[in-house]
Amino acid sequence: MIIPTEEIMQTNHLACPGCGAALAMRYALKALGRKTIVVIPACCWTVINGPWGKNYAGVPVFHTAFETTAAVAAGIRTSLAAQGKDDITVMGWAGDGGTFDIGLQALSGAAERNDDIIYVCYDNEAYMNTGIQRSSATPVGAETTTTPAPLLKDRPKKDLMEIVAAHSVPYIASATIAYPTDFIKKFEKAKSKRGFKLIHIFSPCPPGHKFAENKTIDVSKLAVETGIFPLYEIEDGIYKINKKPKFRPVEEYLSLQGRFKNMSKEQIRSIEEAIQIKWQRLNAKAEYLK
Amino acid sequence: MKKLVLGGNDAVAYAVKQSKVDVVSAYPITPQTSIIEKVASFIASGEINTKFIRVESEHSAMAAAMGASASGSRVFTATSAQGLLLMHEVLHWAAGANLPIVMANANRAVAPPWSIWAEQTDSLSQRDTGWIQLYASNSQEVYDLVFIAFRLAESSLTPVMICMDGFLLTHTKEPVEVFDNEIDEFISYKPEREILDVDNPKAFGALAFPKDYMPIRLKQHERILGSIDKFKSIAEEFGSISNRYYKPVYQYGDENAKLAIVVSGSIAETAHLSVDALNKEGIPSKLVKMTMFRPFPKEDLKEAFEGVDKIVVFDRNISMGKGGIFKDEIVGALGLDNVIGVVCGLGGYDVNDVDIKEAAKAVFEGKIKQDTILWGER
Ligand SMILES: Cc1ncc(C[n+]2csc(CCOP(=O)(O)OP(=O)(O)O)c2C)c(N)n1
Ligand code: SF4
Repeated sequence: MIIPTEEIMQTNHLACPGCGAALAMRYALKALGRKTIVVIPACCWTVINGPWGKNYAGVPVFHTAFETTAAVAAGIRTSLAAQGKDDITVMGWAGDGGTFDIGLQALSGAAERNDDIIYVCYDNEAYMNTGIQRSSATPVGAETTTTPAPLLKDRPKKDLMEIVAAHSVPYIASATIAYPTDFIKKFEKAKSKRGFKLIHIFSPCPPGHKFAENKTIDVSKLAVETGIFPLYEIEDGIYKINKKPKFRPVEEYLSLQGRFKNMSKEQIRSIEEAIQIKWQRLNAKAEYLK
Repeated sequence: MKKLVLGGNDAVAYAVKQSKVDVVSAYPITPQTSIIEKVASFIASGEINTKFIRVESEHSAMAAAMGASASGSRVFTATSAQGLLLMHEVLHWAAGANLPIVMANANRAVAPPWSIWAEQTDSLSQRDTGWIQLYASNSQEVYDLVFIAFRLAESSLTPVMICMDGFLLTHTKEPVEVFDNEIDEFISYKPEREILDVDNPKAFGALAFPKDYMPIRLKQHERILGSIDKFKSIAEEFGSISNRYYKPVYQYGDENAKLAIVVSGSIAETAHLSVDALNKEGIPSKLVKMTMFRPFPKEDLKEAFEGVDKIVVFDRNISMGKGGIFKDEIVGALGLDNVIGVVCGLGGYDVNDVDIKEAAKAVFEGKIKQDTILWGER
């Protein structure tokens, strides 16, 4: 596969150095092309895209209220359809807070109606824009400013992919920037399909996850190789695992990030167990639903 | 043109159909529901090819309306009370983003306790969202104001809310003069505006630093103020087609009145009778009906109150801890000290012509010296 060389997103954006979410948008737009309209709610990308008068994404962007991404995207899609403009991709681009939490109702509404949009959640596993507070995507054992040690996050991360899968939509995929060809293929596939598409991106965040800014790709890769973040697709209800992990020790992933430094051995063991349970289920689904 | 017997909701749906709306996005709530049912039936029968987004909440209704409007469609929605309140944040977004959305609001009391009947506290609690607010007092006005609202919204890049008292207006049927196709040219006019465009990729609504934010907001404020004159000229144009003329402030009764009765919404119909009765009794009176509440038609009111000794404002709404909202706004805008506020008809409580007359008379004769509550017969 050849990664498109055209750069749509501009380089002078305002992300922190090493931001996974900035790279994710760059790849996504390479796959989707210039005929794309993006909806961005309150999140880091509100800042990344530049202040008033700027637009570093390089495609039209509508900034909107935190909880409205999917509904606004649905409105744009419907409006374009009313005008006979059927060759434009409409993409909602929200953080985990705007997706797993406050925007979940609008997301569910659009998924149930099968609105023809691509909904992307770049998941940095906390509210980063407001200073690293826990979200329902924050994993067990993570330290955030609202779960300071020793009150570490003690509930498992919500399973967004499975929640959306329960709406019977045409395409759902997970992706991360450490695997760019897999990433871009998924966006191209999403673009080619009609109806509601969800892409869940694991998006490392140096200041939020507390790692050096040159480790973003390593963290993304380890999330996949430890089995923590499975790369898979659900296409018309059919499960497909894109990468079988080597199940490297979870400590390799955790020890790279300051947010996990206060985890107990016990918590780490329970994470390992959770990974195995998750994979058993995923394998079973991939086996039965193919 | 022909006459049909329509309730306010039917009139709205009929006008929406004739306004060539591209997208409707709405969620049901009593007493708004029959508007969107009717629009859905027009779509189902193929009478219009409007797209209807069947959203899962009012919050999403306004959000989807925003997306649709931002990408260039003519958009309509309708709601009431709790639904309007749920939209609150997005109302600010729609106005701040200069989106010419038109919304009908069936004025309904706000819970608790649950009430489905008329009261304007729902829409008046949205007065600072940057929406133009128009109040209709009969089905004909509702019908006509929809056309005017689209033109006004599109020329002033500001969303417009048409408010009508729940049930009293939404469901009471009366003869309404409707267009065949005389309105087509009037409503087909759409000014150029900036929209989401892949050939000209801009960002809308980005983060503005204080030095940018302040001028943007002031421009919006000026644009909304300027829509008073736009309303007048659009209404004039509308009048030349329909022979029905609208003003921000409507007056009825004795031109040299000493007593002014100020109302908005459906009470205006009733208050016509009260004004007639007062004039018959020798108290020179006039009705001052506020069709426009935002922008606030200060100069028009000033003119209406010239030579008037006493002003009584009947408010079917209440700002808790303060009182009637129209009264408060009028006093604040004009710096008057001869205004008495009368809160009445909350939650659909009946307001009749005799009670209005008696209350206004008591004010005129100095028997009521401070803001009061009108109960009528208990
Ligand atoms: C209704 C509302 N509540 C709260 C906020 C404050 N807020 C802005 S961004 C944000 C967190 C965003 O987190 P997420 O969606 O995970 O994106 P990230 O910042 O991590 O990129 C919050 C809480 C808001 N803008 N609107
Ligand atoms: S805080 Fe994290 S997600 Fe936000 S811009 Fe910085 S690196 Fe990116």
